[in-house]
Amino acid sequence: MAELETHATNASDYAHPDALPPGVRDDVRDLILSMADSKRLLGMRYAEWVLGAPEIEAGIACASMAQDEWGHARLLYALLKDFGEDVDALEHGRDPAGYRNIAALDREPDTWAGLLALNAAVDGALTTAFEALSESTYEPLRTRCAKLLDEEKFHAAHALAWARRYAGAEDSRAALAGALKEVMPSAFAWFGPADDAESRLLDARIVPGDREAARGRLSARLEPILELLGIGAPVLAEPDWAGWDPARRRTGGGAPDAATVERIRGDRNREFLMD
Amino acid sequence: MPYETVYEVFARKNRGEPLRHIGNVNSATDDLARVYAYNTYDEEKWFDMFIVRREQFLEVFNRGDG
Repeated sequence: MAELETHATNASDYAHPDALPPGVRDDVRDLILSMADSKRLLGMRYAEWVLGAPEIEAGIACASMAQDEWGHARLLYALLKDFGEDVDALEHGRDPAGYRNIAALDREPDTWAGLLALNAAVDGALTTAFEALSESTYEPLRTRCAKLLDEEKFHAAHALAWARRYAGAEDSRAALAGALKEVMPSAFAWFGPADDAESRLLDARIVPGDREAARGRLSARLEPILELLGIGAPVLAEPDWAGWDPARRRTGGGAPDAATVERIRGDRNREFLMD
Repeated sequence: MPYETVYEVFARKNRGEPLRHIGNVNSATDDLARVYAYNTYDEEKWFDMFIVRREQFLEVFNRGDG
């Protein structure tokens, strides 16, 4: 019964973008698109390591996590149809500069430690966001959180188990610590600054807490890993917002590499594309 | 790096059914073995799943011993 109540529609819920207060509609759309692009790219990064993982089982884990991320991305892109978006054009028609992914996903990691850092910090940042959205007033998003979060449990377990293993030897410990230090700033910054968009999302209770609360939750999520690696407290200081692009949720420009975007768009399989 | 251990994987589809042996995974640690078992055998919708280190199996008898 408790579960039924959780999913029940409250009078103050928004079942469709048209019901959202003025201004909030674009904010919710932007948020969904950034999460969808990040998950699509993260799926690619997992997939790129299926054959290069240090053991067969780890490659299978990457294949499984890639499938999960692509499934989540698919689901999120589909939600944008209600906003009047051409989902096909979003998925198959954009240049790299049009992607709104977390910046750390722009390049394929060149080491297994680099992939584990994405697994921990970037996958972790997205999951942190979905945990918050499981209390959102935007019903189409909220009702999809439970299954997604259930699948993400084992992504987090993968990162933690490897961190425990890497912490056992100095070389691997230092490699993972270094990779995390590179990736964490963009993962934390992705939650954004205190701006008008955040105020609107908070007022409409699309998100239950502000970016500081989100950064705190990501920090708590990463703490066991950082402790194992002997790294100090995560980056909780306010990031430098100079050059922040609110639409692309990053500072300093940059875009995913062209080869990856070509594969994501399915350029070589375009003739097989079906509705 | 710790040495790899073979873990046997057991699962069942419904509550109350007998556990079925569904395969094995190699892993250096118990917690990684759990993740690998979940990821390797995720095509079915299981009710629950367990792993056991192969070395923990105690033989009762084996008719192939001759």
